[in-house]
Amino acid sequence: MPISLSIRILAGLLAMLAAPQSVAPPAGLTFNATLGSIRLQARPGDVYTRQFQLSIDARQHRTHFKAHFEDWWRSENGRESFYAPPGTLHHSCAAWATANPVESAVEPGDTMVVRFTIAVPREVVTGGYWCALTVDQVADPETAHAGVGVQFLASISTGIFVDVGAVTRAADITDVRVDADRAVVSMRNVGDTPVPVDGRVEFLTRDGAAPAATVTIPRGTLLPERVTTGLFDAPLPAADVLPDGRYLVRAVMDIGLDHYIGAEREIAVTREVSSGGLGR
Amino acid sequence: MATGEVTMKRLLRRVVIGVGAIALPASAHAQIVVVLPSTSLSTTLTATVSEQARVAVPAGVLFSVGDIGASTAASAASVTIDQIVLATTTKQLRISLQAGGASFTPSIGGSPTWAASDVSWNAATWTQATGSAGTLSASSYNAIATCTAGVSSCSTSQLIFTLAPNTAITNAGNHTLSVTWKIESIGS
Repeated sequence: MPISLSIRILAGLLAMLAAPQSVAPPAGLTFNATLGSIRLQARPGDVYTRQFQLSIDARQHRTHFKAHFEDWWRSENGRESFYAPPGTLHHSCAAWATANPVESAVEPGDTMVVRFTIAVPREVVTGGYWCALTVDQVADPETAHAGVGVQFLASISTGIFVDVGAVTRAADITDVRVDADRAVVSMRNVGDTPVPVDGRVEFLTRDGAAPAATVTIPRGTLLPERVTTGLFDAPLPAADVLPDGRYLVRAVMDIGLDHYIGAEREIAVTREVSSGGLGR
Repeated sequence: MATGEVTMKRLLRRVVIGVGAIALPASAHAQIVVVLPSTSLSTTLTATVSEQARVAVPAGVLFSVGDIGASTAASAASVTIDQIVLATTTKQLRISLQAGGASFTPSIGGSPTWAASDVSWNAATWTQATGSAGTLSASSYNAIATCTAGVSSCSTSQLIFTLAPNTAITNAGNHTLSVTWKIESIGS
């Protein structure tokens, strides 16, 4: 190899070593987790046992997780979730629940199984109670990085709903409207238990024929405490399917009863630029 | 015939009569054709599938702050949720963020630093999800994206975090903040 070429290669290697360190973020976390909410129809004194599973990818580092129960609620538009210590809400079930193990280190490729028990007190008022099982990744000081930045941790929360006795499942539709390019249904929980909410919004022309368009409202939850109102929304169909104009707009909502609840009003659809979904 | 043999035959006769008494009704029922389900030819296999998903989130983002008087954007981050299995086609997964404290922790205790609310993110383009722009809060989880109902995956590789300018900063070095990704399935 000519000397000049060797010098150039050496200079290149030295230049690479002397270059400032890139600000590539550290590797992330990949995991699988069970995400099913749990709904129980219980009597005072009943005890239930369930389990939660979380496994981490084989290429991950050993990672610590911690399980606990907490109260939760959401803002009316569903964009914000709030978590608080057990007992913050009157309808909390967090104090009834215990987990085993509470803390666990998961090796690469392994699965953590958290068994948890919900013991309904013998003396409890009829109604719906709820809480969340939260499994938090515990910070590892060795993965802290230098510089100005944020270190991410992961947390998984699954809902637990316990209906004790003959609960009152009830909600009202308080408004139906079109905001920009989204159909929005406002609802209020007037019962004593959380209710699942989904449904559809139909746009009918004045001739009363079949709906010109139907929007499916994704599933959400309406709570009976703290924030008892909720906005449930979905994007409007394309303008060629639902042109601007006046429609009889009918909301048909399912809250888990043996019948739907509905409301309708006449609305002028005028499309504007959307600010995005409500994210419930 | 010895006495012992007589006793033995009587005993044997009683046994034979006993067997006949039991066998007779059985032979009568044998005339009825009974069709029994075959348990040897088919077996029902049932798989119980839990609601679940695989989630990949970054471990952190770094802000290379060269000018404290200007906003600093981090490199685009990627978030992927796949293998989504939910109970209903109208149920959705949501991913959100909350700061672990009200402000960053500077390397020199007590020196000025950024507030958690100085970190914001864009409404990134997501595949099969609706992204929301937002600002970090230490009191609530703010939604970053909600996966479209009924999809098996949603992702972005264009999530950009931005750190606001802060001319009050006086110390170089580390300023760090712990932030939690929340994957929620808390709906009923």
